[in-house]
Amino acid sequence: MNSLTLSATQKKTLRVFANTVIVVLCLTYFFPIFYMFLTSFKSEADTVPPKLFFTPTIENYQAVFTSDIFRHILNSFIITLSATVICIVLGVPAAYAIVFGRLKKADSLYFWFLSTLILPAVSVIVPVFLVYKVLGMLDTHWGLIWIYVGANVPIVVWMVRAFLKDIPLELLEAAEIDGASRLRSFYLIVLPLTKSGIISTALLVFIFVWNEFFFAVSLTYIDASTIPVYMASFMTQEGFFWAKLSAISTVTVLPPLILGWISHKSLVRGLMMGAVKG
Amino acid sequence: MISKADRRYSAVNSLVIPAFVIVALLTQIPVLVTLVLSVLKWVVVRPDLGITFTGLGNYLSVLSNMEFYGVIFNTVLMTVSTIFLCTALGLFFALLLNRKFFGVNVIRTLFIAPFFVMDAVTGIVWKTLMLHPSFGINGVLAGALGLPPIDFLGHFPMFTVILLVTWQWTPFFCLILLAGFQSIPEEILESARVDGAGWLRTIVQIKIPAIANHIEVAVMLGLIFILKIFGTIYVTTAGGPGTESTNLPYLVYRTGFYRWDEGKATAMAILTVILTLLAITAVFRFVRGRAKKVEA
Repeated sequence: MNSLTLSATQKKTLRVFANTVIVVLCLTYFFPIFYMFLTSFKSEADTVPPKLFFTPTIENYQAVFTSDIFRHILNSFIITLSATVICIVLGVPAAYAIVFGRLKKADSLYFWFLSTLILPAVSVIVPVFLVYKVLGMLDTHWGLIWIYVGANVPIVVWMVRAFLKDIPLELLEAAEIDGASRLRSFYLIVLPLTKSGIISTALLVFIFVWNEFFFAVSLTYIDASTIPVYMASFMTQEGFFWAKLSAISTVTVLPPLILGWISHKSLVRGLMMGAVKG
Repeated sequence: MISKADRRYSAVNSLVIPAFVIVALLTQIPVLVTLVLSVLKWVVVRPDLGITFTGLGNYLSVLSNMEFYGVIFNTVLMTVSTIFLCTALGLFFALLLNRKFFGVNVIRTLFIAPFFVMDAVTGIVWKTLMLHPSFGINGVLAGALGLPPIDFLGHFPMFTVILLVTWQWTPFFCLILLAGFQSIPEEILESARVDGAGWLRTIVQIKIPAIANHIEVAVMLGLIFILKIFGTIYVTTAGGPGTESTNLPYLVYRTGFYRWDEGKATAMAILTVILTLLAITAVFRFVRGRAKKVEA
C-alpha cells in the first residue's frame, strides 16, 4: 500500500502534469478559431501555402469594411436585433400569462409552444416561401424577422417560464392585497426579479438568429441576406482568397462569441431550469 | 356568466394571445399547408404541367426511390454518431475542466467557443484552412510526416460532416455536464474518498450517475438541433458526392429549391416531421423509462 501512496511532491508534479495536458488539449480544440484569426492578418501570398512567419497586415479588414460585405453585416444586425426584441416582447408576457394567469389550459398551451420547437424547419419552408413570394416579402428584412420570431418565441416562453416559476405566488397575492392588479404586478414585481433571466434568454435568441442559415438562404438573395448567406456565396465565388475569408469570418463570429462568453453560465442555468421544471 | 375574478384575470390571460397568434401563423399553419401541398403535383419550373391533385402519388414516388432510404440512413448515422461522440467527449472535457487551477476559466472560455461559431464559418474554416489537402493544416501535417495528405471532403464526406458537427456541439454538451458536476455536493465526494473509492470508481459510480439528469437534457436538446443540421453540409460537401452526405433537411431543400418540385419536397417534409417526432418520442420514452427504473 505504501508504495502506491504518493508523496506530496509527487502529487504536485502529477497535478501540474494533468493541468498541462488539459491546457494543451483545450488549446488544440480552439486552434481552428485561433488559426482563422491569425490568417486574417496575413497577406494572401502568406496564406497559400501557409507561412509560419509573416508581416501582419490589416488590409483584409479594410476590404471587409469598404465593400458590400458591410451591408450584409448591417442586415444581420437589423434582423437579429429586431427579431430578438420582438421575441422578448411577445414571449415574456406569454410566459407570465401561462404561469400567473388563470388560463384554463395553461399546461397544454405551454406544451404546444414546446412542440413547435421540435418541428423541423423544412416542414414550413415551402408554404412560407410561397406566401412571401405573393406578398413581396422575399428578400426583405421583415420576411426574415417574422420567421425568426415564430421560430424563437417558443424558446423565450420555455426559458422565461422556468425563471417565473421561481417567484413565489404569495408575493403576487400580497401585492394584490396592497391593490396592485395581476397586470401591474407584471412590471412592478416580476420584471425586476427576472431581469437577468430575461437578458440571458435574449442573448440566446440573438446568438441563434445571428447564426441561422436555413431560412436565410431560402428566403433572401441579395438585398436582405444576412452574413452567413454572404459567406456561403463568397466561398463558392472567391473561395481561394483565404485571408479575406478569414477576416470576414472573424468579424462574423465575434458578436455571438462575445455574447456567449459573457452569458454561458446563465445560459446553461436557464436551459437546465427550463428542461427540469416540466 | 363570467365571474368577477375571471374578469380580473382576463387581462393577464390575454397576454398570451399575441405570441400564440404569431407562432401559430408562422409554424402551425405552414405545416398544415405543407400537408395540403404534399398531395399536389406541382413543379414550379414546369408551368405547362399545371398543378394537379395526385393523392398519395408524391409519397409513393418518394418511398419507392431507394435514394430516400439512403438519406434516412445518412440522417440516422449522422445524428447518432454525433450525439454519441459529443456525449463521450463532453463528459471527458467536463471532467477535465471540473478542476481548479490557474487560468482554468480562460481555458474553459476558449474551449466552448466553437459552439458559438456559425455553421457557415465552421464549414468554411475547416474546408479551407484546416482540411485542404495541399494548403490546409492537413497538408502541412502530412508534409511534415512525409505522408500523402488525405482528401477528407472528397473521400470521407460523411465522416467530415460528423467531425465538424461534433467539434461544434461537444462544447455545448460539456457546458451542461460541467454544470452537473459542479452541482454535486462536496460531502458526497468526501464520503466516497473516506470510503477509499479511487478516482475511476468515483467517476463511474458516483459522478456520472449523479448527473444523469444533465446528460438527458444535453442529449435531448442535442438531438433536436443535430437532426436539423443544414449549414455545415451546405458549405462543405453540398450533400455529395451524389447523396453520400445528404440528410433529410438537405434533401428537402434540394428538391424544393433546386428541382422546384414542391409536391415531392412537401411530401418529403411531412415524412421528415413524422420521422423526427418518432425519433424524439422514442428517445424521450427511453430516457424517462430509465429514469423511472432508477427511482424505483
